Amino acid sequence: MSAHIRPVSPVFVVLVCLAFCSRLSSMKAASICTNGQTGCHFISLANLFDRVIQHSARMHGISNDLHSEFELYFLPSKNQIGRVSHNCHTSTILTPNGKENAQRIAREELTEVILKLLVAWRDPLWHFHQDMAQHHEFNNFSSNKSLEMSDMVHELRKGVQKVVEKMQMLGIISTSIGNLGTPEALLASNSAEWRLMNDYDLLYCFRRDSNKIQHYLKILKCRIVPENGC
Amino acid sequence: MSQFLSSKLRNNIMAAPLSSSVVIILLISALDWLPAPGSAFLTDWDHTTSSATLEPHFTDCISRDLETFRCWWSPGSLHNLSTLGALKVFYLKKDSPTSEWKECPEYIHYNRECFFDSNHTSVWIPYCVQLRGQNITYFNEDDCFTVENIVRPDPPVSLNWTLLKISPSGLSYDVLVNWEPPPSADVGVGWMRIEYEIQYRERNATNWKALEKQPHTKQTIYGLQIGKEYEVHIRSRMQAFVKFGEFSDSIFIEVTEIPSRHGLVPFTLVVIFGIVGVLIVILLIVISWQQRLMMIILPPVPVPKIKGIDSELLKKGKLGELNFLLNGGGLNGLQPYAKEFYHEEPWVEFIEMDKENEEGGDKVDNCNSDTQRLLGLPHRNIEDFSAISHPDDDSGQTNCYDTDLPEHDTQMLIASMLPGQPENHQAILDALALETGERPLIQTQIEGPQTWVNTDLYAQVSNVMPSGGVVLSPGQQPKIQENTTGSERETQKGGKKSEDCEDNEGIKDWKKSEAQFQLLVVVPEGSGSTTENNAQQTSTPPNSPVPGPGYQTIQPQPMETKPAAMTDGNQPTYILPESPQSQLFTPVADYTVVQELDTHHSLLLNPPPSHSPSLCQPQHPLKAPMPVGYITPDLLGNLVP
Repeated sequence: MSAHIRPVSPVFVVLVCLAFCSRLSSMKAASICTNGQTGCHFISLANLFDRVIQHSARMHGISNDLHSEFELYFLPSKNQIGRVSHNCHTSTILTPNGKENAQRIAREELTEVILKLLVAWRDPLWHFHQDMAQHHEFNNFSSNKSLEMSDMVHELRKGVQKVVEKMQMLGIISTSIGNLGTPEALLASNSAEWRLMNDYDLLYCFRRDSNKIQHYLKILKCRIVPENGC
Repeated sequence: MSQFLSSKLRNNIMAAPLSSSVVIILLISALDWLPAPGSAFLTDWDHTTSSATLEPHFTDCISRDLETFRCWWSPGSLHNLSTLGALKVFYLKKDSPTSEWKECPEYIHYNRECFFDSNHTSVWIPYCVQLRGQNITYFNEDDCFTVENIVRPDPPVSLNWTLLKISPSGLSYDVLVNWEPPPSADVGVGWMRIEYEIQYRERNATNWKALEKQPHTKQTIYGLQIGKEYEVHIRSRMQAFVKFGEFSDSIFIEVTEIPSRHGLVPFTLVVIFGIVGVLIVILLIVISWQQRLMMIILPPVPVPKIKGIDSELLKKGKLGELNFLLNGGGLNGLQPYAKEFYHEEPWVEFIEMDKENEEGGDKVDNCNSDTQRLLGLPHRNIEDFSAISHPDDDSGQTNCYDTDLPEHDTQMLIASMLPGQPENHQAILDALALETGERPLIQTQIEGPQTWVNTDLYAQVSNVMPSGGVVLSPGQQPKIQENTTGSERETQKGGKKSEDCEDNEGIKDWKKSEAQFQLLVVVPEGSGSTTENNAQQTSTPPNSPVPGPGYQTIQPQPMETKPAAMTDGNQPTYILPESPQSQLFTPVADYTVVQELDTHHSLLLNPPPSHSPSLCQPQHPLKAPMPVGYITPDLLGNLVP
């Protein structure tokens, strides 16, 4: 994709900047507001959760598609699961492995797990996308998907952080959850393990983790915002 | 495995560029040579294994709800292991590097099934299963999986359909299918997100048509045909995963024709067209009869309008001003009032008096031209009614202008309008019946006074003498005595407005003296009349200078004296001798001459001689049946509706 950057007129650039900047400002204006703020677009917690869950579902779908394509192109000789246990760099993160487990642990813990996972995948996916863009074996469709995946992780993390803020504001969870965007957290997650993974393993691991994130978010929503069926 | 590899290879070859495809082909060829120890259930294979000897293997591992899963095995072709308990299932859960193989937590032997409950199920963690015999371990590396990848949800339940709509043509219809998610899948908590796929086909068809996968619990099938029976079933799978669950039981959809619907559509069409047609017909009627309808709906309201006269003035009762106006104080007098008053009345005939008529010898202007020529008066403007109000007009004016001519219509108007004079009604009707009108009107006027019966007010000019005289031919047989007197008086039409009663008597006396006159002479010029008359007076032949037919001579009465005044300048322009003897005597046409205006602004008409001893008696309008062109404020109340 970087090779296909076309020269654009300055006017077009200015227009795009204006549109983008206005969109950014509107996004800021649509941020979670405290009570009593005027001109604030109020979004309920359930609505926020729905949006985040939809986002995570879509992210998982894309990761699944990419993984299938990878299997198609790079034909693993055998089922990789049995042979090598994938050393996903996120294996160190303790995650609940079932529905009951997810329902049993504390909400703060569950939220923290989600955020840790999201933080852990930001850099690897970005580098994966760079690799994909350089390797021309992939068609544009796949490289677009990798870019989209990388962006989605970024956006999802921001969304979940917003949800956490709102929950903390509402007093649902304690404020013990630190900001995982801090440089210390980034350093902790920035282990070099993910650089050892090949692309296929990376995709496999991310597919698994995106599925985890999706399920955890659903469980969390059901626990925090009770609705019929929870 | 081989089939799987071949299908994937096919796709791969089409997509990959040349260099990698070469490598892949080499790999494939290398791989194809490896013996397949067993079939792995994780891959989609056709359930047919190529090798003859089959060792015990797992046929499938399936999770229905992402909380538990089951594995089934088969002993293979080695029958000695088919006995129960010969084979054992071991699994490995790779959640830690130091994990070990464990035995199946729950056997279901009759089914050769190993059930892993929720305590032993961990999602996102790789599992491997193996079969162990007495001393042999049958393990396939492909039998490793993670639970989320082996999920096949149960089919939805309560599949039902409702008819959405039938097309207007009545050939096809749409159906809404709804169902419930599988009860085993915990969709409420959100632990599983399921999407559904509906397939349908005609009853006896072989191919199923699949609709798009979607996560909602209802879907519409469009375009089903009436009369055909359809079979529908549904299956589910986890979103973003590959494996579908089993199909549900089929339901059958069939819609037969509904005849009532067909009957309804044309009926509504007929009603609509009928209404439209009726509306068009009404519209056409309205357009064609627009004028008449307007007359019926909004008839014109008669409003009295008088030029120069304000209706408000009348309402306020300012009669003085009105009378002034009516008497010609303004530019327009009574005539326009009358005309405009009766503007909308079709039965009122108005005769336009204009200057063109003046030249013609029409009976309309009979008085005008005749008198003028007889008396030698200067031409006057007929239409100027205000002449009445100008007493300083030239002498010799024939007041008959004022009375007769432009006000014929006025006369008719007044005649018609005056109530309380029944004897005039017949006359009015006669007058109105005739197109000309003025002559019979005048005649009726004449007939009112007794002496004027059977006399004509107008005399028709039958011939004009080359010398300038005008021969008159009166119409009717007069009463001799009265006529003669009346005719004598009529001779005084000389327009002597300043004449008084005495003058009339003088004229009359003079006429009597002129017993010898036999001819009716009218002298158009003024001055030479006297001489002419005198000249003609000497001639006595009764009928001699009769140029034209209808001429009648009138012999003067011997009894009449000859007034000397006749020879004076103010002689009448024409002299009508009277002879009482001759039966052929024709009466002289009488002109009603307005002599003067009295103090009440009343018109003094020339009264008939025998009618009253005093000739000076002013013609009171009320006494005269036909006041001519005269209206007083008293009469105004009668006139104005």
